[in-house]
Amino acid sequence: MTKIQFVIERDLRLLMHQYSILIMRWFYVIVQIGIFGLAISRIVIAMQNYYYYYAMGVIVMTMYSVAIFTGYEIYDEADDGFTEYLLALPLSRRELVLGRSLAGGLRSFIFMAPVIAGFMILIGIVDPLRVAAALAALYGFAFGVSGLSITLAVGLRSGDSFDIIMGALDAFIVRLSSALYPLAFMPGPIATLAEFNPLTYASDLFRWSLNFNAKFLTDPLTAVIVLVIFLCTFNFAGVAIYERSLEGGAWR
Amino acid sequence: MAIVKTIGLTKKYGQNVAVDHLDLEVREGEILGILGPNGAGKSSTLLMLSTITKPTEGTAEVGGYDIRKNPYQVRELVGMAFQEPKLFWVNTPWEILNWHAKVCGVKNPKQSAEKMLKELNLWDARKKRANELSGGMKKRVEVAKVMIQRPKVAIVDEPTAQIDVTGKFQIWDMIGSLRDEGSTILLATNELNEADRLSDRVAIMYRGKLRVLDTPRNLKDSIPGGDVIDLRAEFPISQKTAEEVKAISGVVDLAIMNPTHLRIYLNRAERMLPKIMNRLNELHVGILSINMKEPLLDDVFLHYTGTVLEEESVVAGGGTS
Repeated sequence: MTKIQFVIERDLRLLMHQYSILIMRWFYVIVQIGIFGLAISRIVIAMQNYYYYYAMGVIVMTMYSVAIFTGYEIYDEADDGFTEYLLALPLSRRELVLGRSLAGGLRSFIFMAPVIAGFMILIGIVDPLRVAAALAALYGFAFGVSGLSITLAVGLRSGDSFDIIMGALDAFIVRLSSALYPLAFMPGPIATLAEFNPLTYASDLFRWSLNFNAKFLTDPLTAVIVLVIFLCTFNFAGVAIYERSLEGGAWR
Repeated sequence: MAIVKTIGLTKKYGQNVAVDHLDLEVREGEILGILGPNGAGKSSTLLMLSTITKPTEGTAEVGGYDIRKNPYQVRELVGMAFQEPKLFWVNTPWEILNWHAKVCGVKNPKQSAEKMLKELNLWDARKKRANELSGGMKKRVEVAKVMIQRPKVAIVDEPTAQIDVTGKFQIWDMIGSLRDEGSTILLATNELNEADRLSDRVAIMYRGKLRVLDTPRNLKDSIPGGDVIDLRAEFPISQKTAEEVKAISGVVDLAIMNPTHLRIYLNRAERMLPKIMNRLNELHVGILSINMKEPLLDDVFLHYTGTVLEEESVVAGGGTS
């Protein structure tokens, strides 16, 4: 086994220390699905089962917002001077970045596990293949988002720039995607932009795996290809930038 | 045989040259004390040797591996205890040491972490978060990382800063035992007593350059004049008075350490003292105390850099180098 497992272990332990944040986020997700989702689904009449469509979108969106946390932690660590310690360890930069990305994905997963499990029970999905496909879609997406957040955290040299870009990304990536409404209902140019958004493919692949009406979803094979390209691109970029930028002393 | 060798090692931060073409060899199994005030380039050198930062020019070899070409292999050999403890705020000493031991490939990481925490009197605080630990406790956890790792080359940057006297002796003993077990140790410090007590050889760095490298004994012997007299005056000593004292036959050199503190380097202090006192009497300089001693490492530092280590101030009245 490589030392990636130790990097993952550390990041998972950090999550356990932040249980108050976990509880608050769970509360948010439950309120969003349980109250807002129910209310809005009564208003929406153009689509059957919009409630389930919405709930699945909220699950993927929350995975995104938890996975992005890794980037903020990298900034916290740089502020504490902890980055120097990580760079001095007998770990390759690849092990460090991939370990943290994998852990970021896992943390999103662990965080959302009770909600995902509850939701699957609610909609009656028990087919192990479908469950596995749904979980793989979620994990692949979260893994890629972690890589994206690491790439941006290391590539942008100021915490303020990172905050601004993450805020902007958060606003656009959610709204310009099919997380909350299908591509078919979006105005033409916006739907085109949403087709370049990995959140669109993660949400739709998750829904497809859970047997949602496929006529509202993007093609699952395309979704798989986009997600694989997304996670590979940002994890490789993360490794490259980590080596160039941090090892050169840029975090100082 | 050199286990660490720097070749024209240079680090620049913008226009500021932190390390300036450093050529240094560290012998296997020795404790090399690196002395210098803040900003001398000690920490920048150590950060490059541990592959955390890249040199601007030049390179270094650690255990035969080039820090530029084989950084991973270098990191396998090097362990570092930082000047400022690097502990993430939510982690406990137990988690920190246990995880560090695992990443560094220490056998029986849990037992090793327990042993180290007990040795450094941190066992009772093992479940406290890092942000709840005192400065001294944090520093001990930082040093414990290197002790548990037992690396081939241990880099310790000011290991006893913020540590009480008992703790200092404990850490000094541990550094000694680390060396006895075969590690080579680079000890950066601005505590002269620490460098004198622990180091087999001492390198003095100043403004990014290596000024001198030798054993503490040889360095002390290199000071002109075998004795030192410290005089503390009632009122500030003028430049003119200092020059008058320096002109006394037998006085080799002198330095104004602070406005009322004159340090005189000379031979046969017991014979020279009456002459100096007479001259000061003639100059109406009131003396509060006199102290005769052999040169220490601070005298060596003063001799080679022209400044006092504790508070880097330019010494007037004495061209000491």
